Amino acid sequence: MTLNLFLQHLSNGISLGSLYALIAIGYTMVYGILRLINFAHGDIFMMATYFAFFGVIIFAIPWYISFPLVLILTALLGILVEASAYRPLRDAPKISILISAIGVSFLLENLATVLFGGVPKPFPTPEIFTSMVKIGTVSIQKLTFYIPVITIVFLFSLFYLIYRTKTGMAMRAVSRDHETAKVMGINVNLIISLTFGIGSALAAVGGLMWGMKFPQIAPLMGIIPGLKCFIAAVIGGIGNIYGAVIGGFILGIGEIMIVAFLPDLTGYRDAFAFILLIVILLYKPTGIMGEKIAEKV
Amino acid sequence: MNTRNKILTAISILALSLFVFYADRHFDIYVVRILNVCAIYTILGLSMNLVNGFTGLFSLGHAGFMAVGAYTTALLTMPVDVKQQIFYMEPLIKPLNAMVLPFPAALFLGGVLAALTGYLIGAPALRLKGDYLAIATLGFGEIIRVIFTNTQNITNGALGLKGIPAITNLWWSFGTAAFTLLVLASIVNSSFGKAMKAIREDEIAAESMGIDLFKHKILSFITGAFFAGIGGGLLANLLGTIDPKMFNFIFTFNILLIIVLGGMGSFTGTIISAFIITIANEVLRFLDESINLGFIVFQGKVGLRAVVFSALLMVVVLFYRNGLMGTNEFSWDRVLDKNFWLKPWLKLRRIPLRKGGNGK
Amino acid sequence: MNPSNLHSISDQITMPEQEALLTAAKITMRFGGLTAVRDFNLALHKGEIVALIGPNGAGKTTVFNMITGVYKPSEGKIYFMNQDITGVRPDLITKSGIARTFQNIRLFKGLSVLDNVLIANHLHLESGFIQATMKLPGYRKEEKAFREKSLALLERVDLIGSCNDKAGALPYGMQRKLEIARALATNPKILLLDEPAAGMNPREANDLTSFIYQIKAEFDLTILMIEHHMDLVMDISERIYVLDYGITIACGTPSQIQNNQKVIEAYLGVDN
Ligand SMILES: Nc1ncnc2c1ncn2[C@@H]1O[C@H](COP(=O)(O)OP(=O)(O)OP(=O)(O)O)[C@@H](O)[C@H]1O
Ligand SMILES: [Mg+2]
Repeated sequence: MTLNLFLQHLSNGISLGSLYALIAIGYTMVYGILRLINFAHGDIFMMATYFAFFGVIIFAIPWYISFPLVLILTALLGILVEASAYRPLRDAPKISILISAIGVSFLLENLATVLFGGVPKPFPTPEIFTSMVKIGTVSIQKLTFYIPVITIVFLFSLFYLIYRTKTGMAMRAVSRDHETAKVMGINVNLIISLTFGIGSALAAVGGLMWGMKFPQIAPLMGIIPGLKCFIAAVIGGIGNIYGAVIGGFILGIGEIMIVAFLPDLTGYRDAFAFILLIVILLYKPTGIMGEKIAEKV
Repeated sequence: MNTRNKILTAISILALSLFVFYADRHFDIYVVRILNVCAIYTILGLSMNLVNGFTGLFSLGHAGFMAVGAYTTALLTMPVDVKQQIFYMEPLIKPLNAMVLPFPAALFLGGVLAALTGYLIGAPALRLKGDYLAIATLGFGEIIRVIFTNTQNITNGALGLKGIPAITNLWWSFGTAAFTLLVLASIVNSSFGKAMKAIREDEIAAESMGIDLFKHKILSFITGAFFAGIGGGLLANLLGTIDPKMFNFIFTFNILLIIVLGGMGSFTGTIISAFIITIANEVLRFLDESINLGFIVFQGKVGLRAVVFSALLMVVVLFYRNGLMGTNEFSWDRVLDKNFWLKPWLKLRRIPLRKGGNGK
Repeated sequence: MNPSNLHSISDQITMPEQEALLTAAKITMRFGGLTAVRDFNLALHKGEIVALIGPNGAGKTTVFNMITGVYKPSEGKIYFMNQDITGVRPDLITKSGIARTFQNIRLFKGLSVLDNVLIANHLHLESGFIQATMKLPGYRKEEKAFREKSLALLERVDLIGSCNDKAGALPYGMQRKLEIARALATNPKILLLDEPAAGMNPREANDLTSFIYQIKAEFDLTILMIEHHMDLVMDISERIYVLDYGITIACGTPSQIQNNQKVIEAYLGVDN
């Protein structure tokens, strides 16, 4: 393998890893605050791509207006899902909440099938992202560079929000202990809504770039990336935002490299993430960055 | 059981046998097929309920066990020439290509292999709890599917198997369902079953009462996998064609819907709800298609039926968390108790229930 | 062992190891940066009733959790009948003869009172899974014996009247009794009671005192008990260990403890 080819695979891996990281953050934030796997997160990601499709193609709104609108709509969708499917079950047994999460996920997928049709649709990629640049002898799509850059911008904004603002402090407090946070005068439900909103908006950013990278959208497109990003979050240590980013990159780069170096295993590409998940769960269930919590008896 | 209840049970079994006997001969093929599916879904629901409802393990790998059972039974019952014909990409590997077993043996082996898979998956996965267990079992289920898609010379890959002999009939499906119920009810009522329920109620307390958590979890898991495999085998020999895509997470979702609607921890509920869901699935078929009712043309849409089922699951979890039966089971004493039938009506009329009528 | 010399020795820790039924040697439990229990020593002799007291958060329940295998001590060793049981699984420890109750009652709430006690018999079952599923005669015999034993036990603790009720539906005091009955059904040699009188009024606590005495004699038990009701503790226990912030600040007979300056300070919250 030439260096050129390797670099090409690496840049591919990094841009896939960036997308995984953005989506994984949503899982980790929700898990941190509710101890819940938001099964619907992958479907929220899918909905974002359809919002973009409708905005740009159906309503012919220019992309630089449509895309920010998509973020807002997707955030609202996430907040709606939490308020209708999770909030009523806050004190219910865990298994009920998980079932509800699976239910929402299926509902969104099936609704999308009915409303948008099962046939894949093209994603309206703005031209400035699709043009190619030549580096030495290889030509690479500009998008491959934009993706990590955009990811980093959003990540830094998120870190700023969480570690430098009052709201972020409230979010961290709620993720420690709902009761104590309540006593300190924090509006717990509001913070939870906000967490879902932010997590969903980041999934929308991921979804938009996913749509540009793999320009076909379909109602079931969120399932596999959703599962993989959850796995990325677990690998990094669920509940930990840095962990989600690291996990996303490990998974993205690992997947691309496996296909590149061991082409015989291409058929097992989707199993790679699950195998990694199981290995991590068995040997370091808290993930790379997670801390161990012993159940109080 | 007292004599009255024994007689009533015997009469019910006889009535069911007569029904199967009659249906087998006189019902039309379409109805017979739906009844078969009802019985198979009952088997799948019962086995998943043992694990999820009675032992409290949130396991989402059921479709994988069904796939193992379905492929095993199918490969062991398909005639040699059919195997040669459909394995045109790559021939079927050695002993399997010439091996044909009688249906019961193939079905049993399907169950055994599924149980073995259950052991291999459960041994590592059952060290996890709650949602981690859920996602790990889901992952294993998907891995099984990916493996089945890629092992061309065993499973015929994505092409799937065709021409599986249609051996499953009402006797097989209802007989196996009854057998499954008998075995699982016996487990649940035994000391082992009580230990499983204790784990569901409170793992830490159960362990402190001397219950070996892993042993009881894996027993439940393996038993569940065994019957899921049997259900898969029956299904394969009912449908005649199977492929790896069939055993995706949506299949597990359907079974989950059955046990949630029926009540996690109630076999009676599972049986009722397996019939409701299967029949509803047929009745609501029109939602996915356009039909002309003569006076009005209903414009269906693909996926609408699935929307109804997902919404149903949401409604049940959000508003009727205990499902139809909660953790209650059918018993003659309950059904024959006057108050059992009067209660809802009396409640409506706000008439206080007379004490002492509960047979206590 | 000679029971007459038990009371003459005030500091049991110095007693030779082989005489104690249960020994803890310098056990320490850390949670992240917090040391919940530090260098705790315990020697429990056959037939004793010993109390473990201390302010909230002192680490008492953590000691129970280490003895019963729920937590693995960060340091130190625990011996039961001269066997090292440090870090052994909770179910195996219960099997070997140590049973417990929980501070915040952990019954199988959705199951019947009788089932709660029956489940505690399960560890004695000799029939296998297949035998039980097929209801073979050997299994049936064992099941019948468990049932009779459980009913007798429920009769003994006055819960026989509600044996078909759901455990979670019992009033609080009865739930505590059921938890003790459930622990007894495992045939323990040592019973660990975590605040058995919590939430009881003085009269109920008094009844509980005599109840504990009775079961100790009837079931030939050794008892280690965490309790906040001082009257009960002083009344019932032969020796007392006092924990504060994870450290053993005193240990001795009730009268010694009552007059111990450190203990008084710990309870009154005086800085030292
Ligand atoms: N699993 C755990 N993880 C983290 N900290 C723990 C855990 N279990 C106990 N602790 C901490 O250890 C300390 C001792 O707790 P413990 O429950 O043993 O106290 P206690 O003496 O039983 O108090 P109480 O009288 O309130 O029951 C407390 O600060 C508690 O928060
Ligand atoms: Mg305590």
